[in-house]
Amino acid sequence: MKHRNAALAPVLQQRSDIWAANDLPDSAQPGIPSGHPALDAELPGGGWPVGELTEVLSDCQGHGEMSLLLPWMAAASRREGWLVWVSPPARPHLPALAAAGLYTPRLLLIDAERPAERVWALRQALESGACTGLAGWLDKADTAMLRRLQLAARATPLPVLLFRPAHDRQRPSPAGLRLQLSPGPAHALRVDILKRRGRPASTPLYLRTRAFSMPPPLSSPSLPSPAAGPIRRPALTLIA
Amino acid sequence: MLWLALVFPEWPLQARFRTRDGTRPLAVSQGQRVIALDAIALAQGVRVGQRLADALALAPDLVIRSREPAAETAALQDAAGCALHFTPHVSLDDDALLLELSGSLKLFGGLDTLLRTLQRTLAAAGFESVSACAPTPRAARWLALGAPGQRVRNVAALPGALAPLPLEVTGAGSGALLPLRDAGLRTLGELMALPRSALALRDAGPLLTLLDQALGRRPDLRVDHSAPPRLDSRIELPVPRQDSDVLLFAASRLFSAACARLAAAQSGVGECALELEHEGQPPTVLTLRTGQPTRDPRVLAGLAREHLARIALPAPVAALRLQATDWLLMPGRSRDLFGAQAPSLAETRAAAALLVERLRARLGHDKVHALSGSADPRPECAQQPAEPGAARPGQARTRRPLWLLTEPEALAERDGQPWRHGPLHCLEDSERIEAGWWDGLDAPLAANEALRDYRIAIGPRQEVLWIYREHHPPHRWYLHGVFG
Repeated sequence: MKHRNAALAPVLQQRSDIWAANDLPDSAQPGIPSGHPALDAELPGGGWPVGELTEVLSDCQGHGEMSLLLPWMAAASRREGWLVWVSPPARPHLPALAAAGLYTPRLLLIDAERPAERVWALRQALESGACTGLAGWLDKADTAMLRRLQLAARATPLPVLLFRPAHDRQRPSPAGLRLQLSPGPAHALRVDILKRRGRPASTPLYLRTRAFSMPPPLSSPSLPSPAAGPIRRPALTLIA
Repeated sequence: MLWLALVFPEWPLQARFRTRDGTRPLAVSQGQRVIALDAIALAQGVRVGQRLADALALAPDLVIRSREPAAETAALQDAAGCALHFTPHVSLDDDALLLELSGSLKLFGGLDTLLRTLQRTLAAAGFESVSACAPTPRAARWLALGAPGQRVRNVAALPGALAPLPLEVTGAGSGALLPLRDAGLRTLGELMALPRSALALRDAGPLLTLLDQALGRRPDLRVDHSAPPRLDSRIELPVPRQDSDVLLFAASRLFSAACARLAAAQSGVGECALELEHEGQPPTVLTLRTGQPTRDPRVLAGLAREHLARIALPAPVAALRLQATDWLLMPGRSRDLFGAQAPSLAETRAAAALLVERLRARLGHDKVHALSGSADPRPECAQQPAEPGAARPGQARTRRPLWLLTEPEALAERDGQPWRHGPLHCLEDSERIEAGWWDGLDAPLAANEALRDYRIAIGPRQEVLWIYREHHPPHRWYLHGVFG
């Protein structure tokens, strides 16, 4: 519990009958650390939630969106069981996964065409009790499917990460945590927390997810790109 | 000694119709007469001993099968297989089972719990039974027939318990019973009250031997049923059906019987064949692979469900047959001191192998795979699809993209710079990959040869890409990976 006002903090801690609206609830299930301390601080439970779905909405590729998950996956792959990826968008490149610390023989890749099959495969994996982590790419999934998946997730203490296209942001979802990823300035990944348990998040996070450092090429004026205008730094910037 | 007799009411019917779903009246016939029927047929007015024509007039949709002793024997052996889980001393007695339970009571938590579990196991396999307990096998059988539910624990109480039973429970032929009936005898009690010499005069000698065995005055030896370690059981459907719910219901009966049998042998199966027999067509065979030995009927039923969802049956199914020949020893686990136990490593591995098989049963074999690393420096050859569980770890390389394109995408070039929806800005350093020349030593420029300078490039939307330039003229640019 962090309070801006240092003088107020001890008073609030003593009074159990005062509830601070900006507190994140103590999640019954502690989450699995994501490997990004700035993100963990904003997530109820201090990490990827277990026993419920987490949605990652993103349209971009090549901005480090998968790298966001790699620290957690690397830790999960050290335990016995499958790390299941259902219908990833491209072929994973094994040397890069190994460099991120992932023990790749425990990776299980499932190619399923139809959304219903993908959700079915995820449910089977959840119910098998043989998995340490699940990631699925769902480009078309209706709410009823997700609700069934959420029910299956409730019984299993595992993080379930679902990648969905950004325009699904408008659709209702039973997921307990929804994040939107987009390219941020200076090669950081911008993370907007659309939904979480507890008070809503207002400021985006800016995370560096790549293992290697990058020069700031956008400072070069030789790139006439509409996306690369002058960068206005947001008021609160957290660079992990 | 504590003997339990299991008697199956309307046994010819139970043996021929293991899936009684209560939708149509069922009956079994012998020599144009009804000899066994179910409750629906009874309610419609069909009676034992009726002629078939009369029975069909009363119940037009009656399903009639002729009696088949071979099917009854096979079904009784299936039931005995279920009972073997509870005691090694199971013997077949015409159409009943006799179990010696004195050694099993403690393990299964007392007689009540054992009987409940036994009835449940048999019901899951499609058998309804009534039972009775007695210190001798013959008395147990007679009590199960005449007064089901009775439990007699000591020999001294036997004469009193047997006394009210009718003479017919002895199973003695009508030739032996008729003179006694003529003499006014109805129950075993009346028989026991008569002097033995008088009975011997009335040709009741064999009956007296049976009575002595029942009362424990003469030895009555029983042979333990032994079954070969092999599963082969079959269930006929009352009418050929195609809907998977009906087929799964029938299959679950086979699975329950098979798994009780496997539990008795402390074994499991890794593979079994479920044959769906059609009329006038070769059977459809579903091969159920579990990855790891199992004896859980739900696991087998789950696999069968996935298979049935995927295939199209050529014709309605008349019968199902389950076969498994390779039994693998599967020792049980002792309970933890505090009851609950975390899954062991072996259990996690078994679940992991089962998950792969289950996914493959529905999605197809090559839709589920692992990635195996290789020492080939060409990026496209650094990983290969591999059998889950047999994948090798690969070499770690930094500054490599997470996603690889299946085919490198040729890039345009403008002002000496690669172009993809805008100019691509390359980082300084590059990685040269020169490999694959061994694939075509005799050709000057082999198709698989790679001689490329890889670079990390930043695209117009700030996406980070992995591109390369061919070393050979015309030095084209290609996109090969994305840093996800």
